[in-house]
Amino acid sequence: MMSGKEIVRFKIDGMEVEAEKGRLLLPSILDFGFEIPHLCYHEAVSPGGTCGLCVVELTKDGRKRTAMSCKYTIDDGLEVVTDTEKIRRVRHRAWEVLLARASRSEVLRRMAREAGVEKTSLEMRDDECILCGLCERLCREIVGANALTITRKNGRREVVPDPESCIACGACVYVCPVDCIRMVETEEERTIVRWGRTLKMKKCTACGRSFAPWYQLEYIKERAKLPKDFLDICPDCRG
Amino acid sequence: MEKLNVYAAKLVPKNENFTQGHRACQGCAEVLALRHIGKALGKNVIIASATGCMEVVSSPFPFTSWDVPWIHVAFENAAAVASGAESGLKALMRKGKISPRKIFVLALAGDGGTNDIGLQALSGALERGHDFLYICTDNEAYMNTGIQRSSATPWGASTTTSPAGKVIPGQATWKKNMAAIAAAHDIPYVATACPSYPFDLMEKVKRGARIPGPAYIHVLAVCPTGWRSPPDLSIRLGRLAVETGIFPLYEVVDGKYKITVDVPELRPVEDYFRLQGRFRHLTKDMIDQIQRRVRKEYDRLRKRVEMTMED
Repeated sequence: MMSGKEIVRFKIDGMEVEAEKGRLLLPSILDFGFEIPHLCYHEAVSPGGTCGLCVVELTKDGRKRTAMSCKYTIDDGLEVVTDTEKIRRVRHRAWEVLLARASRSEVLRRMAREAGVEKTSLEMRDDECILCGLCERLCREIVGANALTITRKNGRREVVPDPESCIACGACVYVCPVDCIRMVETEEERTIVRWGRTLKMKKCTACGRSFAPWYQLEYIKERAKLPKDFLDICPDCRG
Repeated sequence: MEKLNVYAAKLVPKNENFTQGHRACQGCAEVLALRHIGKALGKNVIIASATGCMEVVSSPFPFTSWDVPWIHVAFENAAAVASGAESGLKALMRKGKISPRKIFVLALAGDGGTNDIGLQALSGALERGHDFLYICTDNEAYMNTGIQRSSATPWGASTTTSPAGKVIPGQATWKKNMAAIAAAHDIPYVATACPSYPFDLMEKVKRGARIPGPAYIHVLAVCPTGWRSPPDLSIRLGRLAVETGIFPLYEVVDGKYKITVDVPELRPVEDYFRLQGRFRHLTKDMIDQIQRRVRKEYDRLRKRVEMTMED
């Protein structure tokens, strides 16, 4: 392992492992080849803990408890169990909650079926989104456009877009675990369907093909303090 | 997917399953494809790699660049070994020796190990319907032994065993369409990809691995050494191969064709040939002949897309 960093020892399903101190539990477990279902976690952004699938059983100082591994920081002497009757029950419940939140999502239904969950007894919400909030965290932390907010409307959470600040970069399209954010692109314009944002595409001054939305390029130029004509030419022609 | 590059690049897994220190040439696009494949598949994968450039550069004894279980097999049997690994995993899971989970099995071979030598093993594995992914990284000749022609070498390309001379202008046969051969097996997933379009490549690898049943992905890999091209232009050459229509990027899901990187107007093939020494001897007539063929093939692909769209 890397030098200069503090190492902690802990156990996953009886296997002794080592990892860097301060790391989150879920990525460490996944690194050792164990399988834990998870939808709302992405290593590039802060953990959300909203899907509830990554629960594991932890034993520390003789006390046993279940916790979401994506928000738990590993410490010395921890014993992790990834599959017990109780964990299976909690995960089953989490799948049911997700199925109820996104009753229209084919992708989610397929994933749940693979996990052995067919239907939900909860009240169905007519949507495709599982409200994991990954797109919101990403837009804030990575893109910095702050175009998405999670609000509470009539007691229900919802991802609300701000159509003015969305740059249609499509990072949320790429990251959505249930593919409910879609993008339609022509030579003239790009639309992020779910957010209702349509932006005109910029054409390369050299070859005449469109390559990115106008507003997105303006945003990048402003943030990176690039010269005005820096992004007039597409990556293909820049050479 | 290909135009998402700005921010999506920050969301690609940081963990490298194909690590640095390999012995590939400068500007090798094939090794770049392996890096993307490693990122897309993650840790739970078993790789059977046929002899070829990528086997030679990634495992000089006693080192290895692979951070996942990897086995080097002979030229002809990558697909056979992968089918054995897949059946073995299934048996171990059935007997309860390992916990049931999704472990991807990947067979990796070059164009020689796929189009020529490994074709019967591949065809057998596809026909038996093993749940595995076969990726062919195609650099259009036997590059690691000294640029000998293979059946994936395009017409007119000069190699050491098909040199361009006064009478014969390089390779005398057209490139074998391996993706079409795989699609003819009626398997659930066939795709073509190129490391110049990394997101497209990674999405296809993920998709091919997850689909139950056999999947085949044909990856065009620019080889500066064998193509006699400047090593800094590998990415651009890959893009040009797609934009000229010489190597269209498409996928076939359950028999339905879809062009994933659509090129509304093809560039002239000359743009692509100009940058490569292996095509330097081509005359105007020959280029026109290739251009006609490329257009015909591209139109045929478009027709297949239309034909399979409705049903």
